[in-house]
Amino acid sequence: MTDVRSTLVGQEQLMALLDNTSAVIYMRDTEGRYMVVNREYERLFGVQRENIVGLTDHDLFPKDVADAFRANDLMAISLGSPVRMEEIAPGDDGVRTYITVKFPLMDANGHPYAIAGISTEITERKRAEEEVRRLNEELELRVKQRTAELEASTKELDAFAYSVSHDLRAPLRSLAGFSEVLQEDYADKLDATGLRYLERIEANATRMAQMIDDLLNLSRATRVELRREHVDISATAREVLADLADAHPDRTVDAVVDDGLTTTGDPDLIRLVFLNLLGNAWKFTAKRSDARIRVGNVAHEDGPVLAVSDNGAGFDMRYAAKLFDPFQRLHAATDFEGTGIGLAIVNRIVQRHGGVVWAASEPGDGATFYLRFEDLGEK
Amino acid sequence: MNGGPILLVEDNPDDVLFTVRAFEKNKMQNEVVVAGDGEEALSYLLPPGGEPGLVPSLVLLDVKLPKIDGLEVLRRIRSDPRTAALPVVVLTTSSEERDIVESYRLGANSFVRKPVVFNEFLDATNVLGVYWLLVNEPAPSWRGGEAQA
Repeated sequence: MTDVRSTLVGQEQLMALLDNTSAVIYMRDTEGRYMVVNREYERLFGVQRENIVGLTDHDLFPKDVADAFRANDLMAISLGSPVRMEEIAPGDDGVRTYITVKFPLMDANGHPYAIAGISTEITERKRAEEEVRRLNEELELRVKQRTAELEASTKELDAFAYSVSHDLRAPLRSLAGFSEVLQEDYADKLDATGLRYLERIEANATRMAQMIDDLLNLSRATRVELRREHVDISATAREVLADLADAHPDRTVDAVVDDGLTTTGDPDLIRLVFLNLLGNAWKFTAKRSDARIRVGNVAHEDGPVLAVSDNGAGFDMRYAAKLFDPFQRLHAATDFEGTGIGLAIVNRIVQRHGGVVWAASEPGDGATFYLRFEDLGEK
Repeated sequence: MNGGPILLVEDNPDDVLFTVRAFEKNKMQNEVVVAGDGEEALSYLLPPGGEPGLVPSLVLLDVKLPKIDGLEVLRRIRSDPRTAALPVVVLTTSSEERDIVESYRLGANSFVRKPVVFNEFLDATNVLGVYWLLVNEPAPSWRGGEAQA
């Protein structure tokens, strides 16, 4: 048999329990006079429990702090149930913050005769929270600034591109136009070499016009607002290939596009990607009678990626890093024409879709361009 | 056939020369009236209080013009009943999307980008001339060459 009394806990034991916690514990009567405090309270406020009995917070703390404590005590008393709140009290190194639970003690008639409080210090957490809040505010401000800067520079780029498209082409039209006029109206006054030079002027003016157009496409790929739509890559690639076949009826190219290639992104920009990649594949296979182009998913270490491959001229892998820079050309203009901007456009668009593009090749053995859009394969 | 003049609104003298040359090469008989900026074009088409000139059969309008730009000229042409139904082809250097969109929104009949190569320009003006001066049937009260009421 167990003695019932042995399960009861004496006052000394209870006090020991209160004294060995890191929380601040205290009891005051309904007038606010201290009845008991624990050791943590003594330590924290530098008082002895026997000296504090009968005093109120107004004897111990500055008025505003004491007023706040008292108001919280009265609230718990009037509610008649435990209340949880945040309180602040002066400490050695500045203001400290506590999470406090206050609850009234009732007599046999249900009348409150005292109020007990348990306060846990949360100053560190509070400071950390404050720091996070401050950092967030700072970050938000910085994001706002950067966005404004970015908007300003996009606007500037926009104005620049607009001016380029209007003003830079006009003198080229004059160059090409007057070369033509000279060839037509003054042909009898020029010898064959002179006429050939005029043709060269016209050809170069045309080429520069093409470069301006390509640059504008690159800037447009950067500037336009990105749409997020379902894109049928298989259909897009087939349309582009059909256009290429129409434009070059003399070529026979064995082109195969796998079914079911899709992604999420901007349909116009993704079309521009395939216009450039397939245009390149088409161009660089021109010297082969058995030209072959393939578009499909292939296995890669991080899962499937989209591959556009051909069996054309290829390129030297030593220059692969330069491939996606504007105006970088790895072939002589006499072998394959081009302005060297197409892959820069591809790169820009794929980047804007959160994706990556890279290439692999052997000279004379074709090239393969690998694409991974952020959402590639998702429906 | 619409025998009225072609109003060419163009500030670049080289482009004026090429356009006139292209019309000659294409054996177009219509007189070409040149307005060097938007203000001139408007004072020809819509003279404030004065007598308007011969109603053109076709207006070729550049976008980037001194004083009043081409799109504003287009807007005023469309908002005045005397010229609202005039065939206006925007013939310009740019192929900026906003120019194309804005031109059509303001009621351009067509938008043509001037090709750099003269022979292509020649083809383009030929097609334009054939279509707008021969094939197209204009609104009766704006038949080119007739005086305005």
